[in-house]
Amino acid sequence: MDKGYMGKVLWVDLSSGKIDEETIPDSVYVKYLSGLGLGAYLLYSRIPADADPLGPENILGFLSGLLTGTGSLFTGRWMVVGKSPLTGGWGDANCGGNFSPSIKRCGYDGIFFKGTSKKPVYLFVDKGKAEIKDASRFWGMDTVETEKSLIKEADCKKPRVACIGPAGEKLSLISGICNDLGRMAARSGLGAVMGSKKLKAVVLGGAMRIKSHSPDKIKKLSRTCNTATKDQSQFIKGIMSARIGTLMRVLPTQMAMDGKMYISMLDKWGTASMNQISIEIGDSPIKNWKGSNKDFGTEKSELLNPDVFTDSVFVKYHCYSCPLGCGGICSIKGKYSETHKPEYETVLAFGGLCMNNDPDSIFYLNEVLNRAGMDTISAGGTVAFALECYEKGIITKKETGGLELTWGNSSAIVALVEKIVKREGIGDLLADGSKVAAQKIGNNSMQYAIQAGGQELAMHDGRNDPGFALHNCVEPTPGRHTIGSQLYYEMFQLWKKIKGLPDVKFIYSKNSKYLPDREKTIAAAACSKYMNVMNGAGCCLFGAFLGANRLPLFDWLNAATGWEKTPDQYMEIGERIQTLRQMFNIKHGIEPKDYKMSDRALGRPPLEEGANKGRSIDIEKMIGDYWEQFGWDTKTGKPTDACLKRLGI
Amino acid sequence: MSYSITDKCIGCSICKKVCPTDAIEGKNDKIHTIEPKLCIDCGACGKICPQESVKDSFHNTCIRIRFRSRWEKPVINREKCMSCNICIEACPVDCLKLSYTKDNKDIRGYPFLENERACIACCFCAVECPVDAIEMVAPAK
Repeated sequence: MDKGYMGKVLWVDLSSGKIDEETIPDSVYVKYLSGLGLGAYLLYSRIPADADPLGPENILGFLSGLLTGTGSLFTGRWMVVGKSPLTGGWGDANCGGNFSPSIKRCGYDGIFFKGTSKKPVYLFVDKGKAEIKDASRFWGMDTVETEKSLIKEADCKKPRVACIGPAGEKLSLISGICNDLGRMAARSGLGAVMGSKKLKAVVLGGAMRIKSHSPDKIKKLSRTCNTATKDQSQFIKGIMSARIGTLMRVLPTQMAMDGKMYISMLDKWGTASMNQISIEIGDSPIKNWKGSNKDFGTEKSELLNPDVFTDSVFVKYHCYSCPLGCGGICSIKGKYSETHKPEYETVLAFGGLCMNNDPDSIFYLNEVLNRAGMDTISAGGTVAFALECYEKGIITKKETGGLELTWGNSSAIVALVEKIVKREGIGDLLADGSKVAAQKIGNNSMQYAIQAGGQELAMHDGRNDPGFALHNCVEPTPGRHTIGSQLYYEMFQLWKKIKGLPDVKFIYSKNSKYLPDREKTIAAAACSKYMNVMNGAGCCLFGAFLGANRLPLFDWLNAATGWEKTPDQYMEIGERIQTLRQMFNIKHGIEPKDYKMSDRALGRPPLEEGANKGRSIDIEKMIGDYWEQFGWDTKTGKPTDACLKRLGI
Repeated sequence: MSYSITDKCIGCSICKKVCPTDAIEGKNDKIHTIEPKLCIDCGACGKICPQESVKDSFHNTCIRIRFRSRWEKPVINREKCMSCNICIEACPVDCLKLSYTKDNKDIRGYPFLENERACIACCFCAVECPVDAIEMVAPAK
C-alpha cells in the first residue's frame, strides 16, 4: 500500500562500519507519524540514559517528513535528532532547502548514525547502496566548500548534501548542520554530535518515487492552499514598517493577527520584514535583554530596515515544495560575494541584541557563521553576553586579545565571531555558548547569560508575548521560538479545526496578554501538540501561519496515508510525541523545572522604560498549568503513569 | 510493481545506458533483466528498446519512439508555476534547473529544461507538479 512514507530506516554504525536497513511497522507511523515523531520513538529506547552526547552511544538521526514529496506544499523540512550536548536532554533541529526529499528518494524515512569513526568519513547513498567513504580531504573545509566539493565528487545525478563546518568539527556546542549552501538545522548543538562521530557529511542521490494513497486529492488540496498563499494585497515600503510597529506599541488594544498578512510580508521581504516592527513593539530583545526600543530607536534601526536586505537579493529562494519563497540569495561586498538572505533572527541577534546597526557586518557574519556551521541565534546571544561582561569589567582587553568589546562596535563583534568559529583565544571560551562560558568565567556572570537549559533564547521577548517565555521553558528542547506563543496561536487559528479550543477576540486589551489564565495554557499546549504533528509531517512553521483552515495539514495526512483520522486524533499524536520527548529528558536525568529561562528575560527585575516597561511574568504558574494540560505532574513536569497509559507510551 | 523485459530482448544494452537508476543488468547479446527494487517506472527503457521487448508495470508492451529527439519534453507555464522546486527534485536525470540572472528584475527563479538531451520523457516533473504548470509536449517533426 502507498502511504506517503517509505516504511524503512537506515542504520549506520560508524564504529564497525556496518550498515543495516530496518523495516518500521505501520503501527509506529499511526502512533508517531514520521519525522520528529519517528525519531523520538526510535531514540527514546535506543540511547542509554548515561550516554555521553559526544560519545559513541549517542545516535544522530536525519529524518524526512511524512508529507515530504507527496505533492503537498510547505512540506520540505528535514529533521535532525539526537541527545543534545548543549542541554543534556532531547535535541532536535529542522531545516528547509532541498535535502529532505532526497532522504525518501533513497528509500528511507530516516538515516541514523551510531558509534564513532576513527577518521573523518561521509555517507553516500544512491541506487540502493549505502557506503561509508573517506572524508579526510574535506575535514577543515567550510560548509560551502564541502558541499560544492562533494557534489563534484559524487557519482550520481543529483547529489544533495548535509554537512558540518569547522564549528561542528571542533565540537562547538552551538554548531549546526548545513545544507543548500547555507541553510542550517542550527539548534540543540547537533553539529557537535556529528563532529564527535567524525561524520563530515551525508550525500544522497536517490531517485525513488514517493507514493501516496490519494495523490490527486493531495494535488487538489495543494492548489487551494496555493491560491490562499498567492491571494495577497500589495504592500507598503520596508521603511514604513517601523511606523506600523510604533503605532502598534502606543495603542492600548491589539488586533488579533491573521497570518495571511504576515505571509504577504514573508513573500516580499522574508523574515527580515519584522526587523523594525519587532523592535518597536517590544518583541526584539535589545542590549542583551536589558535595553528597550528606547535604546535602539527607529533612527538606529532604520539601517536594518527590511528593504536593505531585500534590495540585495538577486533571486528568491524557495525550499522544496514551498510556494512562498521567503528566502533569497544576496550579493554582498567583501570576502564573500553571496550569502543567503540573513533571517530576522540573525539580523536582531547581531543587531539590536548587540546594539549594532551596521548591515554590512550582519551580511558578513551571516555568511561566516553559515560557512562555519554555527547557530546564529546562539552565537549572537553569546556575543551579547561577552559585550556585557566586558562592560561590567568581568572580562578585559587582556582576555579579549585586545578587542574593545563595546556595544555596537561592529568591527570588534566581527573579529570576536571570527575567533569563536576558530576557537581562538577568547573564542574558545565562548564557542560552547553563554552558559558554559559563564560557568568558566564565574564572577557572577551567569546573570548575563540569557538562556534556557543552556540554549540561548531567540529574538522574541516573552515580556511582550508571555507565550514565547512559556515555550522557552516547557519545551523538551528549551529556548525555542518555533513552537508557540500567543501570536502564533492567533495565526494558527486552531480553534477553527479543533473542538474545545478557545478562540481569539478580534480586538483585545493588551493588558489581558499578561494574565496567566488557564485559557493561555490551553492555547500553548495546543501549539505544542500541533507543531509536533507539523514536524512529523515535515511542514514549515510559515505554512502554519496561513491558519489551520487554509493549510490542509490533516487532510493532506489522510490523503497521503489513506487514514481517516480526525484533527483531534492528530492532536493526540502531537501530544504523544511531546510526552515521549519529555520522557526522553526524564530518562536522561533532566529536571524539567531546570529549563526555566534566565530571570532578566522574565522581567525580574522589570524594565524601567520602553515597550515592555514594568512587565514581569508569573512563569511558575504558567509552567504548572501547561504541564497539567498534558497530564504531567504539575510540580515536577514528569508525565504521570495515567498519562502514559492514555497515550499508549 | 516494476517494468520487465521479455525474451524478445537481443541484449543490445541500449536500455541499460538510458536507465537512470542502473536497474537493468545483462551481458551483451544476452537477455537483460530489471531489478524491481531499483526500477522507478520511468519508462525510458520501453521507449528506447528497438525490439519492443519491455513491458510496463501493468504488463502492457511499451511502444518504441525511434528518435529520442521526438520524445516528449516538459514545457513550463510560468503563469502557473510556484517556483517550488518539486519538478527539479522529481527529475531522475537532473535535467531541470532554476533559471535566473543577477540583473533580472523579476527575482523569482523558474525551472527550465537545461539539458534537453538528458531528458528521458518520464513525465515525473509534470506528474508531481501540484499546480499542473508543466505540459509534456513532443517536439514538432
